[in-house]
Amino acid sequence: MLELRNVEVCYGPVRAVKNISFVVKRDSITALLGANGSGKSSTLYAVAGTNTITEGQILYDSKRIDHLPAYERVRNGIVLCPESGQIFAQMTVLENLRAGAYSRRDSYTDELRMVFDLFPRLKERQKQLAGTLSGGERQMLAIARALMARPRFLMLDEPSMGLAPNLVSQIMKTIQRIRSLGVTVLLVEQNAFSALKISDYAYVLQTGKLVMEGKASEMLRDKRIIERYLGG
Amino acid sequence: MVLNQIVLGLATGSFYSLIALGIVMIYKTTGVMNFAFGNMAMFMAYVAFTFTAMGLGPAVALIIVLPLAALFGYAVERFTLRPIRHLSHASMLIVTLGILMILEGLVTQIWGTRYKNFPELIKGKPFVFSGKAGIVVFRRQDILVFLILICISVLIYLLIKHTKLGIAIKAVSENEKAAQLMGISPGKVFSWMWMFGTALGALVAVLSAPKTYISPVMMVFYQIEGFTAAVLGGFESFAGAIVGGLALGVIENLVGTYISNELKSTFSLILIIVVLLIRPQGLLGSRKIRRV
Repeated sequence: MLELRNVEVCYGPVRAVKNISFVVKRDSITALLGANGSGKSSTLYAVAGTNTITEGQILYDSKRIDHLPAYERVRNGIVLCPESGQIFAQMTVLENLRAGAYSRRDSYTDELRMVFDLFPRLKERQKQLAGTLSGGERQMLAIARALMARPRFLMLDEPSMGLAPNLVSQIMKTIQRIRSLGVTVLLVEQNAFSALKISDYAYVLQTGKLVMEGKASEMLRDKRIIERYLGG
Repeated sequence: MVLNQIVLGLATGSFYSLIALGIVMIYKTTGVMNFAFGNMAMFMAYVAFTFTAMGLGPAVALIIVLPLAALFGYAVERFTLRPIRHLSHASMLIVTLGILMILEGLVTQIWGTRYKNFPELIKGKPFVFSGKAGIVVFRRQDILVFLILICISVLIYLLIKHTKLGIAIKAVSENEKAAQLMGISPGKVFSWMWMFGTALGALVAVLSAPKTYISPVMMVFYQIEGFTAAVLGGFESFAGAIVGGLALGVIENLVGTYISNELKSTFSLILIIVVLLIRPQGLLGSRKIRRV
């Protein structure tokens, strides 16, 4: 479904992502793991289109998309759920969800019902300013907002960041539920254990390079991999 | 007497509000302080004057000029500012200053420096009411301007609250990068805001032309007052721009009548400094809401 071929992302003279290539299969959950500064988020934003690639190609359904602006990619079903700090704090919960549905030309009432079903707390707080939500609620809103675009390919950037353990497991269960709706998921996480538990396949980045890949279940069993690349 | 001064203040303030709205529209989304705002409006007033010189009525000239002004705003944003957007805000400010000077030179070359007359859209005797509070005079053109302000305020409210463009405007104003991730094209929002803003400026220029006459400097005063109204109301708030403009108009008129006509601008600017010291975000501006 998604293929990266020798992709490089630079911030001025700094090469954040160095010629990485990988594939994400349809209907899978694929994890992109690595320590802070390993280039995970830079890769996601390159696929989303807000980071420009300096080398390589990005293909979606066998078509090149790296020349498309970010908003065109959303219309093709490629949606990035940024970390929860990027919700629109000055807008209400409902307005955030309406912003998520911006690219839709048809009615979004079914999606609204679905996200309120996934996150009942958001329904209770739909008229509240998003900036006043708690960390967990913001994360729910960020995911719900991404789902409003009816994505075919959803990228999640650190969905468990700063959350209590019980909320992390709730978010991971939600991601599995999203996959069951027919959405392919690319998950960036620092919390390797939680991510591997729900993923089919995983790639590990280190200082911008792809250093390992394999089935998530096998990686989870190999303690040396966890210790060496994923911070124990 | 006081009531009449308040009514006159509201009439003047309506112009300030419309100018402030135009400035805020552009600033809120693009972050650009458009120094050429007044001169772009002045240029469109000259275009309207040309139509009236050709024999068209002022209302018809205004109706033709508004979409032309929107196109003018679109062209300025799309072809002079957007290409340098990635550089810095300072470079965009310099471009708007450049446009200001180019337009001033251009109108002098085309239409000369002599002041031009422009007819009022509505003619007729003013409405006069007298009662215990004294005499109150409503000029027809003032009523028209105030009604236009109310209509535009309602339209902006409906646009922001109930349309996709409104959601896009709010999203781009708050976080341009996150807005793109929702499928919103910031460029499209910038274009719309420049079109609306420039058309508002042209509207004020044409409506005020019977009072100020058309000249290369006709909008200098209104631009300063519009900036002041926007600051008073809260620079990123549409409602603030409306309230700020009306408040400024009333304050200036009262000070001009009861204290000193020469001091009215000075007094209102001092008042604004006091307001901003107490409420830095302006009268209706909001502080950034963030749970910690």
